[in-house]
Amino acid sequence: MLKQWNFKIILIILLIWLVKGTDTFSQVSQYPDSTRYKRFLPDYMKLQFAGGIGFVSMGVGYTFFNQKLDVSYFYGYVPENVTSDDLHSVSLQVTAKLLRFKINENLEIMPLNVGGFIHHTFGSEYWLKLPEHYPPGYYWWAPGRNAGIFLGGEVKTSFLSNATPASGTAFYVRAGSRGLYIASKFGNASIHLNDILEFGFGLAVYR
Amino acid sequence: MRIVIILVFLVGIFGVVSCENMFDYSPYAIDFTEENRNVNQRNIGNLAATDTDDTIKIAFTGDTHRFFDEFDGFAKDVSTNHSVDFVIHVGDLADFGLPKQYQWGNSFLLKLNIPYFVVIGNHDLVGNGLTAYENMFGSLDFSFVYDQIKFIFLNTNSREFKFNGNVPDIFWLEEQLKPSEYFTKAIVIFHVSPTEGDFDPSMTEDFYSALGKYSNVLFTVHGHLHHHEIYTPNSDSIPYINVFGVEHRKYNIIRISNKQFDVETVEF
Repeated sequence: MLKQWNFKIILIILLIWLVKGTDTFSQVSQYPDSTRYKRFLPDYMKLQFAGGIGFVSMGVGYTFFNQKLDVSYFYGYVPENVTSDDLHSVSLQVTAKLLRFKINENLEIMPLNVGGFIHHTFGSEYWLKLPEHYPPGYYWWAPGRNAGIFLGGEVKTSFLSNATPASGTAFYVRAGSRGLYIASKFGNASIHLNDILEFGFGLAVYR
Repeated sequence: MRIVIILVFLVGIFGVVSCENMFDYSPYAIDFTEENRNVNQRNIGNLAATDTDDTIKIAFTGDTHRFFDEFDGFAKDVSTNHSVDFVIHVGDLADFGLPKQYQWGNSFLLKLNIPYFVVIGNHDLVGNGLTAYENMFGSLDFSFVYDQIKFIFLNTNSREFKFNGNVPDIFWLEEQLKPSEYFTKAIVIFHVSPTEGDFDPSMTEDFYSALGKYSNVLFTVHGHLHHHEIYTPNSDSIPYINVFGVEHRKYNIIRISNKQFDVETVEF
């Protein structure tokens, strides 16, 4: 029940953002610096496949320091047909884009993006605070909150920039792991690095 | 130029996608392959197909948590050095209750070329571990008869079920112990001992009386405490065998013959 509500609320927020967003975009293009909305509008939208934060995840975010740092917020969903029970989660990610090569007007390559994330899965079994039926410190981790790191790359093109208010479209890939997997691998040669990596890729549309 | 680069990337991605299991959707996604499903029931079938003699030899391990290398060592040692009939894991296969840890744990057990059984531990139940266990191993309480001995596996992780009064399922246990023509003695295997605070204290007496009811329990085996010890916590003098956690690089072999048993410790 709670999970369904979470899903609905996030869907509604996304719809509002989409409607308001496109509306504001058109204003932006007509009157470049005249809108108050502009500075608060997310700088990009992302659609990601896998990467440990959902079968598909939709995210919005802001860039800082001349597009060297991204902060994104994702809602991720895993449908019931790829797991035994559908899963809803949100994650907050910080990505630093350490290298940037401008190939030409229309193409930029960022081959070294590093980042970290905190991932929260919804549901009473994925608790954040140790439930009261355990003595203090019984379990040292919280199944509802996972933190992790990732490494990736991105190719940004001017695709979509002519027909829409978007400034460009990027394709990105990433490979990461999370604390609970790294703790499992630690000291164990029998667990292979490949076993703890989460691969993902996605599209980003920049404003 | 741009199109070419995009195409190269798409082809690359397609290549990566075609590699199996590269992509993770969530640490809690459960999508087990056939060998990782219905494991206990399949092994009951495998065990029934083996020949029996007058001695049953069982290797016990448990509390494998994140001691994956030691667990791997255990599996290799059992399958190369000792002619045991089957293996029993006394719980805590998945330290964080994660589906991935279930898969890793079972990957070592799959290396054994003999039947094996896993009873549920408290760590196995964290997060959606209950669903993972049910998917991989089956029912939380289960039993089978082998060579006139009934092996009863019982979920005793009361704390994980908020001491709701249904764990352990004492009615089911009594029903299982009810004498029949198929078995002469019974062995009860569980993770948490009734002497522990994680076992519902209000159910301890009922548990003891259920075990003693038909005077047919030869001994019980449990884990959770990681060390090895044989003790009799109740006046019915049923022996409780606490078996080594795998991190000690030791495990116990229990031999049952003519309604008698002995316990051996093996180092690896």
